[in-house]
Amino acid sequence: MSDKGAGPVRDNPVVITGIGAVTALGHTAAETWNGLLSGKDGVQPIEGFDVLGFGCKVAAQVRGLDPEALGIHTKSARIMDAHSFMLMKCARDAFTKARLGGSSVAEDQIGFFVGMGMVDYKIEDLVPAVVASKGQDGVLDLEAFYFKGYEEIYPLIILLMLNNVSLCQAAIDLKIRGENAVFSPHADSGARAIAESLKTLAEGKAKVVLAGGVSEKISPFGLARAHLEGDLNTGGYDGVAVCRPFGAQRKGTILGEGCGILALELRASADERRVPYTTMITGCGDAFGCEESFSAPTCQAIAQAMRAALESAELSSSDIDVLIAQGDGNRVGDKNEISAIHEIFGNCLDRVLVFSSKGALGHLLAAAPAVDVIMSVSMLTEGVVPTTLHAAPVDESVKFHLVTDGPVRTSPKRLMVNCRSDSGQCASLIVETVR
Amino acid sequence: MSPLRRRVVITGYGMVTPLGRNTQATFQRACQGESGIDYIRSFDTSGLPCRIGGKVDDSWIEINVGKLEKFASRGLKLMMVAAREAVEQSRLDEVPNREEIGVSLGCHGDNPPMEELTFLHRFYDGNGKWDVQGLLREGGYSYLQFFRRKPDVAAAMLSAAFDCRGSNLSIVSACAAGAQAIGEAFHLIREGGAVAMIAGGCEATLDFVGLVGFVLIKALAERYAAPQKASRPFDRRRCGFVLSEGAGALVLEELQHARSRGAPILGEILGYGDSADAYRITDTHPKGEGAILAMKKALDDGSLAPADVDYINAHGTSTLQNDAVETLAIKEVFGQRAKTIPVSSNKSMFGHTIAAAGAIECILTLAGIQRSIILPTINYEFPDPKCDLDYVPNVARHQEHRVALSNSFGFGGQNGCLCLGKFID
Repeated sequence: MSDKGAGPVRDNPVVITGIGAVTALGHTAAETWNGLLSGKDGVQPIEGFDVLGFGCKVAAQVRGLDPEALGIHTKSARIMDAHSFMLMKCARDAFTKARLGGSSVAEDQIGFFVGMGMVDYKIEDLVPAVVASKGQDGVLDLEAFYFKGYEEIYPLIILLMLNNVSLCQAAIDLKIRGENAVFSPHADSGARAIAESLKTLAEGKAKVVLAGGVSEKISPFGLARAHLEGDLNTGGYDGVAVCRPFGAQRKGTILGEGCGILALELRASADERRVPYTTMITGCGDAFGCEESFSAPTCQAIAQAMRAALESAELSSSDIDVLIAQGDGNRVGDKNEISAIHEIFGNCLDRVLVFSSKGALGHLLAAAPAVDVIMSVSMLTEGVVPTTLHAAPVDESVKFHLVTDGPVRTSPKRLMVNCRSDSGQCASLIVETVR
Repeated sequence: MSPLRRRVVITGYGMVTPLGRNTQATFQRACQGESGIDYIRSFDTSGLPCRIGGKVDDSWIEINVGKLEKFASRGLKLMMVAAREAVEQSRLDEVPNREEIGVSLGCHGDNPPMEELTFLHRFYDGNGKWDVQGLLREGGYSYLQFFRRKPDVAAAMLSAAFDCRGSNLSIVSACAAGAQAIGEAFHLIREGGAVAMIAGGCEATLDFVGLVGFVLIKALAERYAAPQKASRPFDRRRCGFVLSEGAGALVLEELQHARSRGAPILGEILGYGDSADAYRITDTHPKGEGAILAMKKALDDGSLAPADVDYINAHGTSTLQNDAVETLAIKEVFGQRAKTIPVSSNKSMFGHTIAAAGAIECILTLAGIQRSIILPTINYEFPDPKCDLDYVPNVARHQEHRVALSNSFGFGGQNGCLCLGKFID
C-alpha cells in the first residue's frame, strides 16, 4: 500500500466529534449498532394506520419517540411530525456529544446541513375542509368550500408542508446560526449535506457543522407513493416481505424511518477544544446518470461517484477495506451497483468486505448515508462488520464478499459509503480511522 | 482574496416571470416600472381575502419537452423555459466533458390540485381512517402525481434534458432556496467540484392549496386598491406579499473554462453567505441578526468591504415585518453609508416567486449592472419612518454600479445573500 500520510485532505482532516442516530433498532447510535451486530431485524408490521389494501404491510418504523419525552411543547409539536422529532433528537445528541453546549463555540460558527426526506402535505389536514363542505347529497359544494370550508384547514399547515421547517426548529432549539441548507429528498441529499460540511469547514466558514439526514415519516400516502412507484417489495398475497440487498430473490425495497446526524470539525479544532474523536471523513464524490425508466442511476454514474470519492480522498480502491453499499433490494439499482463495484474494485475484489444496512433498517432515504457513516465509526473502532440481513442467497453475478455470514472480525482502516436516489443522483463518501 | 482562487462567472441566464417570457422582456417591463400582478383567473378565488397573484402567461411555457412530457408539471415547464434560455446563451452544449457540469436548483415540487383533494375525500371518513383499498382500486394517487411532488424532479429532469452528469442538488429552503442553490453551485465550482453548473429555482405554487396556505398564515396582501398596487415593499401602507410563480436559471462557469471556449461573460459571482435566524419559526429575528450575518458573510466570502457595495437588491417582500427588519439589518451592516446606497425590491413588480425569487432577482441584478440601470421599487407612495433608505422609488435609475448584494430570507429563518459584480479582468 502506498503511503497515505501526505496531501491536503490529510493535513487537517474533518473528524467526527459527535453522533446521533435514531432507527427502528433504537433511539441512540449505540442501540442501532448493537442491534445490527446481534442481527436484529427492524422491519415489523406497520403500526399507526390501517395497512389493509397495501401490497406491502411492513416497514422499519421508529417507535416511542414522543415529543413529551423530548420536552417539546404541545404547541410546537403541532407543527412537527415524526421527521422533526427524529431530527431534534439526533441533532441534540450530536451537539451534546461534541460538547457544543454552554456557548463553547459561537452560535454563528456552528453550521447545519441536512438531507430531508419528502415532506408532504398531510392529506388529513386538508380533507376536513372538504368534508365540511359537503352538501346534503354528499357531493362537494365548491361554493361552501371557497367561502367557509377552507377555514377548517389548520392555519399553520404551510409549516407542515415546508421542507425546511424541521431544520429551523432544531436550529432554534440549539441556537445554531451558521451556514446552513436543506437538500431533498433521496439518499444522495444526505450525502450532499455531509459534502457541504466538509467544504464549509475546509474554507473556515464554520468551526463545527452538524450534518446528516432524516427520512420521511411512514404514512399511508408515503407508502402508497412508494408502492405505486414500483419500489416496494410486496412479498406476496399476505404482504410479508423483506428487503434483500443484492439478493437473488430481491423484489424491491422496504421503507424505514430514521435519522443520523454527525458533528464534524477540523482535527485542529477538536484538539483545541479537547473533544475526542476516532474517525475522519476524507472524501466525497457524486454524479448523475439515470436509467431511461427513471428507476435507478446507471452503473456508470454509480462508478463515477465512487471514483470521484476515492480521488478526493487521494486513495485507490485497494485502500478500501469495507464498502457500505446502498443495496436497497431494487432489481435494477442493485444490478447497476454490483457492476459498479466490480468495475471500481476490479483488481481487489477479494479484499473488500461489502455490507448493506437496508435489510435490518429498511430504506432510510435521506437519512441512509449519515446512519451508515455513524455505523462505520463503530465498525472502525470495534473491528467488526455485521451481517447483511436477508441477503442470502446472494445474486449469482456478485463477485465480491457480501457479508451474509457475519459478524466478521476484521481490522478495517478505511470505508466507503455508497448511496443513490431513484432519479439518477449518486454519491459516495470515504471514512477512515484517524491515525 | 487568494490569487489562485478560481473565479466564477455567469455565461448565460434565463427567466420566465409574470412580467415576461424571458430576461429581456422582464427587464424591459421592469425598467418601465410595470406590474405583473393581476386578479387570479386560473381558479375560483371567490370568498378568499386575497384574490390576486403574479401568473405566468400559459402561452410562454408551451414547450415540447419530448420524452420528459409525462413528468412535466407546471413548475418543471417554467424551469425548462428559463434553463433553455440560459443554456442557449452560454452555448453549454458545446462543452465536451459532461461529467463536470452539474445542476443545483431550489424547488419544492407542486401542490396538490383541488381535483385531487375532491377525489381523495371520498376515501376518508374524517376520523383518521382511509379506505386505501378503494383508493388504489380507482388509481387515486398515481405515480406521476407523486413524481410532481418530489423536490428533486426538476434537477433530475434538467440533468437529463441538458446532459449534465456532475453534482445534482435540490435545495428546499423556502424563499431562500433559489439564492442558496446559486450559492452552493458557486462554491462547488470555486472549489473545483465542477467547471459549470446550471443553477436557479422555480415555483408554481399559484394554485388553490398554495394560496390558501399563505392566506391562512395571513402573509398575503389583503387590502389593495388594485392588484397592481398590492405589492408595495417599504411603503407605509404595505400589508403583505403577493404570491407569484416563475423560474430563473443561470449558467455559472469557471472563468478560464468560459474564456477558453469564448463563452459570453455576463458578470461574476463574488461571494455568498448564508445563516439561520435560530429565532422563531414564524417570525424573522426582530433585529435582523440572521440577515446581518448573511450579508456580512457574503462580503467576507468575496473579500469585500461594505464600502465596495453600490446597490442592494432587497428581499423586500412587502410584509410589515420583513421590510422593516431588512432595513434595520442593512443599516447595521453599512452604518452611515446605508442611506446613500440604492436599495430596491423587484417583488414590487412581480410579487414573491418563493423558491425562484433568489434566482430571478440575481439575474435582474446582473442585467442591471451590465446596463447601468437600477430597477425601481414601484408603489412607493407613503414613507414609513421605519424604512428610511433610498428605495429607488417608482422610477428606474441610470447609474453605473459594479458590486451588488442580492438578499433572500426564507420562511423559518434561513437566509442567503449573493454578492454579484461586473466582470472586471
